[in-house]
Amino acid sequence: MTDVRAPETDPFDAAAEPDDPSRPGPASPAGGAFGLAGWLKWAWRQLTSMRIALVLLFLLALGSVPGSMLPQQGNNPSGVQQYFVSHPALAPWLNHLGLFNVFGAPWFAAIYLLLFVSLVGCVVPRTFRLAGSARALPPRAPRHLARLPRSAEYATALPPAEAVEVAAGVLAGHGFRLRRADSAAPHPAGPDPAEAGTWVSAEKGYLREVGNLLFHLALLGVLVSVALGGLFGYKADRLLVQGTTFADTASALDEFHPGRLVTAADLGPFTITLNKFDASYIASGSQRGQPAAFDAQISYTEQPGGPVRTGHLEVNRPLSIDGAKVYLIGHGYAPRFKVTDARGQVVYDAPTPFIAGTTGNFLSEGVVKVPDARPEQLGFTGVFVPTAVDVGGTLESVFPAADNPVVSLIAYAGNLGTNDGVSQSVYQLDTSGMQRLTTSPQVLQPGQSLKLPGGQGTITFTGYVPWVSLAITHDPGQLPALICGIAALGGLLLSFMIRRRRVFVRARAGENGTTVQVGGLARTDASGGFEAEFASLAAELRAACQQGRHPQREGE
Amino acid sequence: MPSPVLRTLSARVRRRAVVMAAAVLTAALLAVALVATFAGGGSSGVTYLDSNDTAVLYASGHRPLAPEFSSTTLAGAPARLSSYRGQVVVLNFWGSWCPPCRAEAPALAAVARHYQPAGVSFLGVDERDSQASAEAFVRNFGVTYPSVSDPSQVIALDFSAVVPLAGTPTTLVIDPSGHIAGAVFESATYSELAAILAKVTGKGG
Repeated sequence: MTDVRAPETDPFDAAAEPDDPSRPGPASPAGGAFGLAGWLKWAWRQLTSMRIALVLLFLLALGSVPGSMLPQQGNNPSGVQQYFVSHPALAPWLNHLGLFNVFGAPWFAAIYLLLFVSLVGCVVPRTFRLAGSARALPPRAPRHLARLPRSAEYATALPPAEAVEVAAGVLAGHGFRLRRADSAAPHPAGPDPAEAGTWVSAEKGYLREVGNLLFHLALLGVLVSVALGGLFGYKADRLLVQGTTFADTASALDEFHPGRLVTAADLGPFTITLNKFDASYIASGSQRGQPAAFDAQISYTEQPGGPVRTGHLEVNRPLSIDGAKVYLIGHGYAPRFKVTDARGQVVYDAPTPFIAGTTGNFLSEGVVKVPDARPEQLGFTGVFVPTAVDVGGTLESVFPAADNPVVSLIAYAGNLGTNDGVSQSVYQLDTSGMQRLTTSPQVLQPGQSLKLPGGQGTITFTGYVPWVSLAITHDPGQLPALICGIAALGGLLLSFMIRRRRVFVRARAGENGTTVQVGGLARTDASGGFEAEFASLAAELRAACQQGRHPQREGE
Repeated sequence: MPSPVLRTLSARVRRRAVVMAAAVLTAALLAVALVATFAGGGSSGVTYLDSNDTAVLYASGHRPLAPEFSSTTLAGAPARLSSYRGQVVVLNFWGSWCPPCRAEAPALAAVARHYQPAGVSFLGVDERDSQASAEAFVRNFGVTYPSVSDPSQVIALDFSAVVPLAGTPTTLVIDPSGHIAGAVFESATYSELAAILAKVTGKGG
């Protein structure tokens, strides 16, 4: 997968990394000698290859597209219902494919599980190798230093072993890690006693490997954090009418999407009351009707009977309560209706949340179900228009604030279908068992009543209150994911900015004293600058030799 | 002194070991996740009365203590659970808006008619409802026992701490000591309630 180290092959260290398991191996386990184990190994290699990881990542991105283009059950159930109404032929097919619940669909889970396995399978072995690489000694000095990208040569009067020692001292002073000819480090050729004291290898920039390691570990951390969120997090929604309270328990939530290891018992036992909701809109200019500010004044308790606190909810300013975050994600109007049935009994008197449609300016639709009206159940479909203007016989909303609120109702009587035990949406009226009572929609202003034909009763539009919809989320992986993300970025920067560079020194005894050869190479010199560093280092080495002795050895 | 061939071989063996370890680790993680996903509670002392685990009996010693509440009935009278101590109480969480509650209402009314003379008390908890709708429901289904209103569902919240109360309706049977002896976590039927009450009252249904 993500390889931030450019040169994989090292001319001097060929045995250290024979070949990369993250690289796609042979195209298939050809040769016929492969049994089940061979196939499994081949599949594992394919899965953990960078190519497959990229394909999976791309599929994941592709799979999220319908999640952002189509309404989703999780955050917009009414949008899904609307989609079913407006696309009756297409919607069931999309539903079969899980496109209204993309992030919970099995195929989406398959993609991210495979990606997870692919990443883990790639990153874990790589982490081990990086850890080894960060501890490794520099390679042996090559025989012909003049062939290296950078080289220098100077003569000194010191014997070779001493010249090498002096050079080693200088290089160590610059923070290089050293390897001498007599180091007992493993090498295919083994330490050669004959070479003792004739060369020293030095390498610097191991922090690059540390950065690389940090990046890979942080990447694993991000994966674990995401898994934490998926296992122990939850998401819930609740619509709350102004002046009412709800308790954070499964039966009081409109939607509850627990993580794999979360049950209803893990919900924080808080209660929230919506005291008042204010929405203000820009009243003039080209931005007219755009929201200016939303403010939900709430009071809440962390547990039943606990102290009551007050607070404000604004868009993108959630309330943190008992490990959960409560976001204000929507609002609307709940017109209040009072219904009396044929016997004159009050059978309904409550604010009824209406949902804003797509036409703008909070033209909202809703349903009033009166299951206990007698002799027949009553139902109404309605439209709430906050600032109504009659445009050629149809009502339009010209402003989202409720400046001239009216409702327009169609009344039905018959069987609502509520008594046979099957749950139904509170935003939809099944009129299949009902008879329409009013031919045309009846428009009511606050305080006005509609007498139903045939003495079936009366409905009065008594006013309206705002409602808000709240999203309650708990994601224990959020903070770890942020920390790991920052660490990954830091590691990436380290590995990009720091170069591994090597300097080799060989001293040979000649007729006119000792010849010292210095060679250098940077494993990645993308950012440049090694040439200058090498030149100044070579000059310093020469000067140290000409001084005769390294300062540290002056006492001898 | 290892030969180059041996060294390459050992590196390959080591790498294979790392790959195998990664594969085994991944498989183990997946297995743990699967087990965690599908493993049920399996706590003792719970008997399921039906195939879909919605009606349960708690053995004595495994009965959770019902949390106390005090509220006002729909008729406006104060009511508290502790005043029912010493009696078997059927506590029904309902709402006029909830179709399964409407479906179980006739059965519940019938159970009440049969068991009230035998000393069993019935109390409704009206969830997330309005007074007018709740009163109309009670009138309509001929509910003879009182209901306390719980519009904000704080009573449900308290009970969800001791039993897996996941929605409305839920019916709990509380023994004379105030412990929950049985529950129906969905629309209750006459036979489910009769079976639980037979056990709790010690009399045949």
